[in-house]
Amino acid sequence: MMLPLLAAACLLLRSASAVFADEAFNLDYHHALLGKPQESTTFFHRPNPASRASLIYSLSEKGVLGAVNPRDGSLVWRQLLSEGESSGASFLRAGEDQDAVVSGIGNRVDSWAAGDGRLAWSHVAPASLQDVEILELSDGKETPGAKDALILAGGEHAEVQRLDGATGAVKWSHKLESGDEPYQVSASSTEVFAILLHKTMLGYIKIKVVSLDPVTGKKTDEYTLASDSELASADTIISVGANSASPIIAWTDSAYTTLKVNIIGTKAVSSFNIEKHNEHAVQRVALHAPYHTNSLAHFLVHFETAVSDWAEVYHVNLKKSTVEKAYSLPKVSGHSAFSTSTNDANVYFTRVTNGQVSTVSSASHGVLGRWAISNFGTVGKSEETAPLHAVSEVSIKGDSVSAVRSAVYLSSGEWVLLRDGSATWQRLEVLADTISAAFTIPAEAEALVHELEEEAHSTPIHAYIHRVKRHINDLKSLPEIVRNLPQSFMRGFLGTSDDHSDAFGFKKSIICATSSGRLLALEGGNPNSIIWTKQVADVPAGQSWAARVEALPNGVIRLIEDNGSETPLFNATTGEKISSSSQEVHVDSPVPLVAVEYTLQNGELAATASGQNKADTLWRFVPQPGEKILGLVSRPVNDPVASIGKVLGDRNVLYKYLNPNLALLVTAHEAVKSASVYVLDTVSGAVIYSNTHKNVDLSEPIASTLSENWFAYSFTAEASDSSPKGHQLVSGELFESLSSNDRGILDAAVNVSSLSGSTEPHTLTQTYQIPESIAKLSVTQTRQGITSRQLLAVLADSSAIVGIPRGVIDPRRPVGRDPTKNEQMEGLVRYAPVIEFDPKWHLNHAREVLGIKNVVTSPALLESTSLIFAYGLDVFGTRLSPSFNFDMIGKDFNKFQMLATVAALAVVTFVVTPLVKRKQVNARWQFA
Amino acid sequence: MAAPPPPPQWVLDLNSTPPSKSRSGAFADPPGFTSATAVQQSKGAKGAKATTARAKPSQEEMDTLKLKKAWEVALAPAKQLPMNAIGMYMSGNSLQMFSIMMVFMLFKAPIQALMNINQTFVRFETESKKQELLMVKIAFVGCNLLALALGTWKVNQMGLLPTTRSDWLAWEVPREPLERAYFVPS
Repeated sequence: MMLPLLAAACLLLRSASAVFADEAFNLDYHHALLGKPQESTTFFHRPNPASRASLIYSLSEKGVLGAVNPRDGSLVWRQLLSEGESSGASFLRAGEDQDAVVSGIGNRVDSWAAGDGRLAWSHVAPASLQDVEILELSDGKETPGAKDALILAGGEHAEVQRLDGATGAVKWSHKLESGDEPYQVSASSTEVFAILLHKTMLGYIKIKVVSLDPVTGKKTDEYTLASDSELASADTIISVGANSASPIIAWTDSAYTTLKVNIIGTKAVSSFNIEKHNEHAVQRVALHAPYHTNSLAHFLVHFETAVSDWAEVYHVNLKKSTVEKAYSLPKVSGHSAFSTSTNDANVYFTRVTNGQVSTVSSASHGVLGRWAISNFGTVGKSEETAPLHAVSEVSIKGDSVSAVRSAVYLSSGEWVLLRDGSATWQRLEVLADTISAAFTIPAEAEALVHELEEEAHSTPIHAYIHRVKRHINDLKSLPEIVRNLPQSFMRGFLGTSDDHSDAFGFKKSIICATSSGRLLALEGGNPNSIIWTKQVADVPAGQSWAARVEALPNGVIRLIEDNGSETPLFNATTGEKISSSSQEVHVDSPVPLVAVEYTLQNGELAATASGQNKADTLWRFVPQPGEKILGLVSRPVNDPVASIGKVLGDRNVLYKYLNPNLALLVTAHEAVKSASVYVLDTVSGAVIYSNTHKNVDLSEPIASTLSENWFAYSFTAEASDSSPKGHQLVSGELFESLSSNDRGILDAAVNVSSLSGSTEPHTLTQTYQIPESIAKLSVTQTRQGITSRQLLAVLADSSAIVGIPRGVIDPRRPVGRDPTKNEQMEGLVRYAPVIEFDPKWHLNHAREVLGIKNVVTSPALLESTSLIFAYGLDVFGTRLSPSFNFDMIGKDFNKFQMLATVAALAVVTFVVTPLVKRKQVNARWQFA
Repeated sequence: MAAPPPPPQWVLDLNSTPPSKSRSGAFADPPGFTSATAVQQSKGAKGAKATTARAKPSQEEMDTLKLKKAWEVALAPAKQLPMNAIGMYMSGNSLQMFSIMMVFMLFKAPIQALMNINQTFVRFETESKKQELLMVKIAFVGCNLLALALGTWKVNQMGLLPTTRSDWLAWEVPREPLERAYFVPS
């Protein structure tokens, strides 16, 4: 009898939901990230030559170019330059006193307005870029204002091009036909040098310098440096200085015993011995040189061993064309990050170690400024963090350094700004590398749920006794509750609900695993705070770690590495590793008679009975020849369904096909440009539903999801004779039977087996045109599945996440006719082939969420609410009530009015009582 | 032995209340008005004029009259039915305060009437017309049942009766799968 009521309620609730103005920026949280900044593409630069304030520009490893305000660490602008992981090098250059920054990634060169990040011009190089430089010369030929850019394209047809700084047009290009590998391009104030690597017969590398005329691009000279057998690979070339007063090339041998320096344009090579300070071998040599043509030609060489590091400063004598060692900076244990800054012609080197920031002038070794660092303000308090690289900006007053700002990238993955040694802000750039995330299940909430379940599954009497016992136990916490009552009352009354109890389960913490081998726990209610962070795997630079995190009950996190057999367990609240030998952790799930495990390997799906020999496959799904599997989505293990049927408008029931073993498989055929979708029963391997779409643009993402008894996928169809190119969203729903009140062949059978007897569902599908391609699909999850669902779609092109109400993509929407009265009662509207993404569906409202790869959802303790966490590049989280907050008092509820009414009634009662009493007595005694 | 003193005047007044005379004892009755006492007096005085007065109905007549009256009472609910039906139709099938109240009243009245059926007809009870009165009662019950049926129809219209499959859906259990499959990333 309650069901029609519920259905009616749901109908009322099923209207377009939106993010409310008072909830925006309040419920949701967002980390606008860049990714790990690269040392070579990060610098301070004034966006406007007239202004004194500078911004930090960085092109990160994720291919995101951004400007960060050094004052507070906020993002001024950013641009996503590359989708996905780009393997090639990327470059970012800014000319002195220029209001543009030039980026190079892949084979694209772009110039961006430094102030607001607008694209000025874009140029596509003939091959992938090897180097991009700004030509800093004053020959009177360049366009006034913007300085020209030099690019070096590699590949088969290596080429140096000079691009106009204002338009990006090619002024000249010089083909390097020698067949040598292009390495870098460098410019002095009079010449342009292309550095090539020439492979000798013995496998060694010789450095070849081709000098070009900057105006015409004609070759003026070519010579080879006598590097002999020292250079085995390009890795030991430390640096090719660019744009400094005298560009240099520096390299070492692979054992780091000697340092060789050549001033480009001369053939002489200066050689310096690298002294061994102790038994630890030098592991890294880095060179830091100023980047301006009018700066002093001084540079610093940074030597690192496993436990300590030191640096030496060299001066280039321009007249004699020699390199001399000037002084050395002392050896310090631990790691330090050096950075170069210039002020007019003077060059300053800033050293950031774990404990202090010190600045020296390049001319002499006297320390101009020294500030102690109390802490970096990082999250992992106990963890030892080392500065990896830094960029600095010094302000000079007279002869001393009055202030220094350093943006330091730490080994913990945080980007910190130190202002005179004190940390001003931290950016958690490590979160941009998130590869897997999971909501934790808090232990105490889990305990209560468990107890309630126990009550639900026992006889009424037992349940009653259990409940009474539980309540008596709860009484123990009564004194504390009473003590905290005034406080919580005040909080609730004033609306500052900042209490730490999480009665609604909105503050589930989120565990993220990053590709750098780190685990982070984000506090769900207070997203700016990280509860703990921990390096769990050593990942060599340049490699990425592949692992998944999985939340187990009782606040335990399991980490499943893709190539490791071990699955370590962690405490979700503290981050401590739990030894799996202490058998406290066990997942209790009902054990079915037959458990099947299926895996995706070698381009096919194979299933075995769990515990059986892997060779004995139960079934195997091999795609058609030429097809490859794009994605596999299985129904979530915990996917509660409130009702086994759909109540129709005439109160009949359409039974859902509920099979926990469903999986949706998407395959693509590159040659014929088709995509196929299969819904599989993963126990028997039977194909329940399949469809093939021809003429599909496979370069666009194909997203798919599966929940309850329905699935959805999207793809991009190529233009054909009858239809233009368009993005399509297909929604399908599986039913036991299409006639109402019919539960299929099995009818009321208690058990169902996929292996015996076939129960083929009836599938309804409907296709919709959508305005843009969907990168990822996900579904909201609630505690009991009563709340209507929303399909979450990540829109990469508009940097947004939309929540599409399930009713909109219902396959049962009547086609070609208006809905009947009964269908209207159900909330079905007439089918319209185009779905526009309603602006109200956008979960990110004013925010721009960039580069989202995945969206995870988790139920809150309240049925109405689903928690959402999106990651990839940005990290975005919010909570969503697809059917509104039907089980909690909203913010607009006027508590004051309610209390005032109660109080007023109390007062009135108090005042009126004697009056009424007197009147009643008088009525008995007076006869008027 | 002295005689008891005579009771005071107020005791006498109290014990012998004055006859409830017409309020306007001082005034003459209006012309044409004959008080009851006057009628009796005149009856006794002038027997010829008795024909003008109504004859007291006989027991038979009285019983018939009572039965008629009883029929009227019995059929009263039926007369209300059309009005009720229109009211129910008008109030719509949505679950609202107004329609719920109306339905409640619709149910309350017949049930109350049926419970009080004996009190209702006790004043029409006669020795001779016992059989007929039974018929009247049956008719009364029938009419009330009709009203109840109207209420039931209305409740069904409102979707409050568990007559369809969806009402029992909550008691249908999902089938337990005998097998479970788990995805193991390779």
